[in-house]
Amino acid sequence: MWAELKELWRFRELLISLTERELRIRYKNSALGFLWSLVNPLVTALVMSIVFKYFLSQGVGSYTLYVLAAYIPYAFFQFALMDSAQSILVSLPMVRKVYFPREVLPLAQIFANFIHLVLALGVFVVISILVWLRTPGEFPIRPTVVILPLVLLVNLALATGLSLIISALNTFYEDVKYIMGAVLYIMFFLTPVMYFSENVRHATSQMGPRGDLLYILYHLNPMATLCTTYKKVLLAPTPVRMGGETLQPLDLDWGVFGIAALMSFGILILGYHVFNRMKWRFVERP
Amino acid sequence: MSDSIVSIRDLHKTFLLSHSGSGSLKTAMLWWRKRRIERLEVLRGIDIEIKRGETVALVGRNGAGKSTLLALIARVYKPTSGEIRVNGRVAPLLELGAGFHPDLSGRENVFFNGVILGLTRKQILERTDAIIDFAELHRHIDAPVRSYSSGMLARLGFAVAVHVDAELLIVDEVLAVGDYAFEAKCFARINEFRAAGGSILFVSHNLDQARMLADRCVWLHHGVIEREGKPDEVLDAYMHGDAEVL
Repeated sequence: MWAELKELWRFRELLISLTERELRIRYKNSALGFLWSLVNPLVTALVMSIVFKYFLSQGVGSYTLYVLAAYIPYAFFQFALMDSAQSILVSLPMVRKVYFPREVLPLAQIFANFIHLVLALGVFVVISILVWLRTPGEFPIRPTVVILPLVLLVNLALATGLSLIISALNTFYEDVKYIMGAVLYIMFFLTPVMYFSENVRHATSQMGPRGDLLYILYHLNPMATLCTTYKKVLLAPTPVRMGGETLQPLDLDWGVFGIAALMSFGILILGYHVFNRMKWRFVERP
Repeated sequence: MSDSIVSIRDLHKTFLLSHSGSGSLKTAMLWWRKRRIERLEVLRGIDIEIKRGETVALVGRNGAGKSTLLALIARVYKPTSGEIRVNGRVAPLLELGAGFHPDLSGRENVFFNGVILGLTRKQILERTDAIIDFAELHRHIDAPVRSYSSGMLARLGFAVAVHVDAELLIVDEVLAVGDYAFEAKCFARINEFRAAGGSILFVSHNLDQARMLADRCVWLHHGVIEREGKPDEVLDAYMHGDAEVL
């Protein structure tokens, strides 16, 4: 693996150029250009705030920012995996002709999406300050924001590891991307984007021992832990209304976050290993 | 530094061909029992030495293993067994626009192609003007490549490949593009490249071209070297032998 990493480092210029190219192609033929990548989270935020305000009114402030804080990273995760799944197939004519470490293809997709994530989080900060100016209260950005880079790093590791596995498999079996699409859709509902981890805790705590098991299973999905972490790191704790009860906000569980981080880096190492074992066969694909 | 740029010892390459064509999980799962895997031995023990400054033509019928051999030298494939040693930078001349992205401009593609072939970003930026001059594409260089004709793509691809300081140029049947004037320019540039000590390995079905360019000729037949030596001898034998087979 070290030899492979050294080789990748030798080709870092290629990886940087590919990432740049990816960012450039994406909005090449559209008038709004880069702004399009911000439209999606903004529209989502708008719809969410309308739905929460009028249909799911629960009387405890606005959940919009909380939804957005988790939706932006989840969208990154989703698009990064979908873009990288196809990356090798799309470039197969080039892969057949020139040598370069094949992992630069999915990595460029991941990095381009990661840059979008960082920019979108910047916009998120601006929005939350605007909201605070309109309805003054507790300042929205917390001191805990300093550990955001760590959270982003874990998220990047998770997305990279998975995308290495998926892009390698999808080169041989194109069903993989459809299966992944379905799994990502299901996972969206099993990840606390639209709701809170407090909801999950409360619901499972009323089921007895089976519930505890369920709670643990739920958090074996590193993306679930990451989404909760984003909310808690970026925003002030908020009470959650559920079936007439008001749930007090829980503190961030560092143990659970640690496990998610370990799993993410484990997946990264596994993914790189799997990719390296398969990468020489891409050109010999039947 | 050794005086050969490529040395190949007892090189074998075997492909596994599956007749179900398992491009999907369904076929892979339904056919895993019945799957007939055929081993296709494309190269069966090749020994070649290419010296610095030497131009070698590969000839042989379709399926003889010429392109596979080029791809192995370009490190696209891993050898099944045997050894390939390449002591220097290799630039494969890409097929019509294989490394080009249709939505990007010619200039952006030149940059990107140069980086793939191993230049740093600074180096390629310094050479972009020379490349555009050579390709004679000043008017179109900022238009997206999808609007280029095949001749323009070929000119651009060739221009990049000869500007990356390669020590070995790998050419797989792409010299017959562009108009007469540009072809003459390509040959002039190739001669310059050779004079400066560059090596070329090329595949051609145009035997006159092979006779004219090559210092040495290698005739590949069913994955082994049938004959190698002076172009005239080998090409005569090849034309004669091939006529017999037909």
